[in-house]
Amino acid sequence: MTSKGFRRTMMVCLWIVLAFMYIPIIVIIGMSFNGARYGMFPYQPTLRWYAELFTTSDLLPTCWFSIKFALLVTLAAVILGTMTAFGLQAYAPKWAKRFNFVLQLPIIIPWLVTSISLLLLFSFIGTGRSMISMFLGNLIVVFPYVVLLVNGRFEAMDRTPESAARLLGASPSRVFFDITTPAITPGILAGGIMAMIMCFNNFVVQYYLVPIGTNTLPTLVFTRIRAEYKADLNALSAIIVLAAVVLVIVLSKLGFSAGSLFGMGGGTKKKGE
Amino acid sequence: MGKKKRSSFKPVSLWTTPSVIMLLCLTVIPLLMLLVFSFMNRNIFAGQPWPGWTMKNITRMMGSATFWRLMGKSLFTAFKVTMICIIAAYPASWAIAKIVKPHNRSIFMMVVILPFFTSQLLLIYSMMNLIKTGGVLLTILDAIGIHGVNTWLYTNKATVLVLTYEYLPYMILCLYSSLEGIGDNLVQASLILGASKAKTFINIVFPMSVPGLLSGILLVFVPVAGSFMEPGLVGGANGSMVGGMIDTQYSGSLNMGYGAALSCMLLIILSIIMVLVRLSANRAQKAIGGDVE
Repeated sequence: MTSKGFRRTMMVCLWIVLAFMYIPIIVIIGMSFNGARYGMFPYQPTLRWYAELFTTSDLLPTCWFSIKFALLVTLAAVILGTMTAFGLQAYAPKWAKRFNFVLQLPIIIPWLVTSISLLLLFSFIGTGRSMISMFLGNLIVVFPYVVLLVNGRFEAMDRTPESAARLLGASPSRVFFDITTPAITPGILAGGIMAMIMCFNNFVVQYYLVPIGTNTLPTLVFTRIRAEYKADLNALSAIIVLAAVVLVIVLSKLGFSAGSLFGMGGGTKKKGE
Repeated sequence: MGKKKRSSFKPVSLWTTPSVIMLLCLTVIPLLMLLVFSFMNRNIFAGQPWPGWTMKNITRMMGSATFWRLMGKSLFTAFKVTMICIIAAYPASWAIAKIVKPHNRSIFMMVVILPFFTSQLLLIYSMMNLIKTGGVLLTILDAIGIHGVNTWLYTNKATVLVLTYEYLPYMILCLYSSLEGIGDNLVQASLILGASKAKTFINIVFPMSVPGLLSGILLVFVPVAGSFMEPGLVGGANGSMVGGMIDTQYSGSLNMGYGAALSCMLLIILSIIMVLVRLSANRAQKAIGGDVE
């Protein structure tokens, strides 16, 4: 397992996987500068699709709507998730286990089934497909991630400074804001980022609960893919990929690793080893 | 179960009240509704009279050859995608966790999860454009002298390809976090003491990667088995899987009771499979002698 040939083979496998992941993305960006119909050859360099994206296309307004919607859901998910993780610390282990089981249902159950069950519920109580239904539907599938990530920070955290501060006469609220909050902030941030991305991306829940006549970015892209090829979608993809690269660089500069974003390994697990 | 005295109750627990209510109203009750609606005569909307009970959804489902064929297809597709993801992700995760220099590891992992930060739909769109007739891949194949290749687009192969593309990062992430925890000296000790590479893998590396492998399987198999949008977009006329059949009951024919029955059955089958996977993983770990976890 340490021989040179073996190591080289493994590295080749890694590069093949990365090529598989990135070639389609690179091609889509390349085609955003191609004026030819249907993104075919011969290649005709143009900025036409970017001009269209920023003027006539309905993609950009929908993208903004999706971002705003995702931010709203994220805000709610972060507040709700942090409160829950905090309260969960006082649960007896047996009840914490039961709570965690229910909490993970929205993550484990396929979104298709979750969305359909929510559509049944909302049709039954009368809100049907509406903004409030879509908001609640997205909230319920993203907030468990916040709880899990913040909970990970709580479990990795050293609790003695809190008791020390209490013994030395600090009020519970002072302890919470001066000691607990700074310790769990990375978890809250990671949870917020995950919630934001899960919500911005969540096609299935939005497909079932979006008000009729309205589109979020995922549902609009879905309709567009089925209907026609028009490269302003490629231009938008290129911009989103660029934004993702910036986001990922900022995150790693802030000290987030891929593992810590998904609540595995990276910092939180180290203590138990 | 509910009769125990709550002597350990602390007021801090009250902070979870909003989420307990939300989980009850938006997860537990809807799932129960799914079950109840499976036995319902017709659609029910706010303000309409109670439609009454029936077994016809269940008998129709049990007797539907289409449903069982599509269910089999979904499970088989999910199995294929999961296996491809494991086979592709194992060496790649090993390379990142053990061969890449430590200070570069987080960069590689960020590169791996970057597509996740873009958009699921855009990933599908880019893969469709790569493999379509007249797209880049076929043009290049044509240029280097491989002519007459048919596109995979609108076949079942495209469904597997697109789903693998979407879910591979999850598998790498899960396996990486397990493999990273295996001490280098453990592997080296085993090799120095004379164990073969295969034996070292079976006795040390594999048992220690089982937790990551399990969460990877959970994160890939379940959503793939329940997917309906990918087969609909790239699978062509015969691409539909069981998710598509469920979707049709809502977006097409509006037959909520039948759709609810199909969803319940999907959920039951997936739960059984996941329990079996977990049990067999535990047994494999015990049989091999790994005492991880």
